[in-house]
Amino acid sequence: MHSRLLSFALVAPALALVAALFVYPLAFSLGSAFTVQGGIGLDNFAKAFELYQTDILFTFVIIGISTALIGALSIAIGGYLVLGEHPLAVAALGWLYRWPLFVPFIVAAQCMRTFLAKNGLMNNAIVSTGLLDAASTQSFLDWRGIVITFVWKQTPFVALMVAGAMAALDRSTIEAARNLGASRARILLEIIVPQVRATLMVGLILSFVTMMSVLSVPLMVSGGTPTMLTVDMAYRINSFGDYGVANALGFISYLMTGAVAWIYLRETMRARGAA
Amino acid sequence: MNRRSVLVTLTMAGLVLALTPALAQQRVTVNVMTAGDQNMVEYVTDYLAPLFEKQNPGIRVRAVGTGPGDAGSQKIWERLDAQRKANASAWDVDVAVVHQRMAGQMVQEGLLNRYRDSVDTGKLVSRDTARKALGTDVDGYVLPMFHSQTALAYNPALVPNPPKTYDELVSWVQANPRKFGHNGIKGGMSGVAFVFGWVYANSPNPAQLMEGPYDPALKNTWGPAFAKLKEFNKNVVITPGNAGTLDMLNRGEIAMGPVWVDMFYTWQADGKLPPTMRLQLLSPGMPGQPMYYVIPQKAANAEAAKKFVAFATSPAIQAEGIVKRFNWYPGIDAQHVQSHLDHAAWERLFKDVSPQDLASKGKPMPISEYFKEIQEAYERQVAN
Repeated sequence: MHSRLLSFALVAPALALVAALFVYPLAFSLGSAFTVQGGIGLDNFAKAFELYQTDILFTFVIIGISTALIGALSIAIGGYLVLGEHPLAVAALGWLYRWPLFVPFIVAAQCMRTFLAKNGLMNNAIVSTGLLDAASTQSFLDWRGIVITFVWKQTPFVALMVAGAMAALDRSTIEAARNLGASRARILLEIIVPQVRATLMVGLILSFVTMMSVLSVPLMVSGGTPTMLTVDMAYRINSFGDYGVANALGFISYLMTGAVAWIYLRETMRARGAA
Repeated sequence: MNRRSVLVTLTMAGLVLALTPALAQQRVTVNVMTAGDQNMVEYVTDYLAPLFEKQNPGIRVRAVGTGPGDAGSQKIWERLDAQRKANASAWDVDVAVVHQRMAGQMVQEGLLNRYRDSVDTGKLVSRDTARKALGTDVDGYVLPMFHSQTALAYNPALVPNPPKTYDELVSWVQANPRKFGHNGIKGGMSGVAFVFGWVYANSPNPAQLMEGPYDPALKNTWGPAFAKLKEFNKNVVITPGNAGTLDMLNRGEIAMGPVWVDMFYTWQADGKLPPTMRLQLLSPGMPGQPMYYVIPQKAANAEAAKKFVAFATSPAIQAEGIVKRFNWYPGIDAQHVQSHLDHAAWERLFKDVSPQDLASKGKPMPISEYFKEIQEAYERQVAN
């Protein structure tokens, strides 16, 4: 009993911080989402759906695509680091792939803005090689730009986790498969990935949640509609002082991340149960 | 340290504190609180304050920025409102620089000093925005610091004969798809202003939108204007922000787009935009807006504040600071500023948009109710 009290006292400061900085504002914004003139109601949600339903869907699709691409790329990077046969290439990749990790989202967005534009760095480089003529280039500053920026920025994070997990695997299974003549792709997909599945999931879920909250990238990369929910929230507040609809949109984001967090929790519980 | 020496120290500290107001009376600090981008704060601290302090020894100027857009003005209002509610006898903001919407609200709520007639430069303004702010009567309470204006920027190499009206623009865009760009309503005010101008040009009662009175039924007449805009938007590029439009013009990705005139000239001066680019103010008109110097009702240093505003709106300062350094249109009437400018500077500012154009086609923003309703109608009928 005594040690129980003590352990509670030890976590109390942390709990208090979580309560003050997270639970209270969360409850406050949820409350505001459901508050309408003179009472409780769903008007804010009705308006949020009326004006922003495409953006809700768009946000989900954009982040879904980005998460899938991040997963595929980090498996590829991690796989090459474990299975690659050219030591120089492995060393170079191992050194290079982490770089975007240290670039803030807003800086990445700013770079992409000039890199992906119609007459931007990327297209100009392609045109100068003669592969494409200047008139047929196109701008990637729309949803594709958002996806490219997200993937570029978040892949290293997931790859770092996945590559670590892959490196820690018992290599005997890989060697056994190799002895039996399995191709490298097959070893990666059928032997390695199933064993690092839990780590990969955690990395992807954390990326998903991070990307949901990014305002700078959609704001700076794409001006068009549809756009992501963070932009709509900022717009409701800055142009109308309308915290109600902004919080309703926030609540919808919570639901999306909440669903993903639930998968995450279920996954860790299962992993713990199995261990 | 023993107890006695602690007591002595405390007493002395108390004495010093008690004497401070007497010392402070010899040296007045004018607190200037300004909404807007960082350049507004820089304008006050780097340009206005040193000149003013040199002329008025004993007065110090301290500038604080509250952030861009109406949100910045909102913060100033919150501060004044809180001090009034606390029944403070003197408020700690002496001069504020605010946007139109908030100036109107502050006047209505009695937060401002009716100071204009007690300032010499008050006679130098005749433009309607000095009397009305988005439909609210602010006559006597405000002096415009500057006017900013939106206009169509274009690349004469690609567009030798730019459209002169919104209707001509529509046919031009049809003939040249994806060569015109604007930033919609979520990426900055140049796009919002373009949409307001569009509604003025395509709806039955533009004068009522700008001057009031507010009638909620009026928004039902905007349907055709927005349907036309939705059609128009299919052939344009939506750019990422005010700067995004200028960036795309610079890279030659679009040939035309609505911009803030001051940003346009500043970018040209910085070499971020080719000097060949030109401006065109579309008929029947595109919106612009002033920012106002106001003095709060219970400003602690009202007399020094008036001195400061008179200085800041004097023709010489308006010419050198507002026009030459920051490429804004002067807040006071242009003819008073002209004699303080060299020919080149005057020519540059009014080369493409003449003072006559500005008078006939420089429109105010819509009154605050329509300001919001037009944006929301755009989201509902164009963006969806």
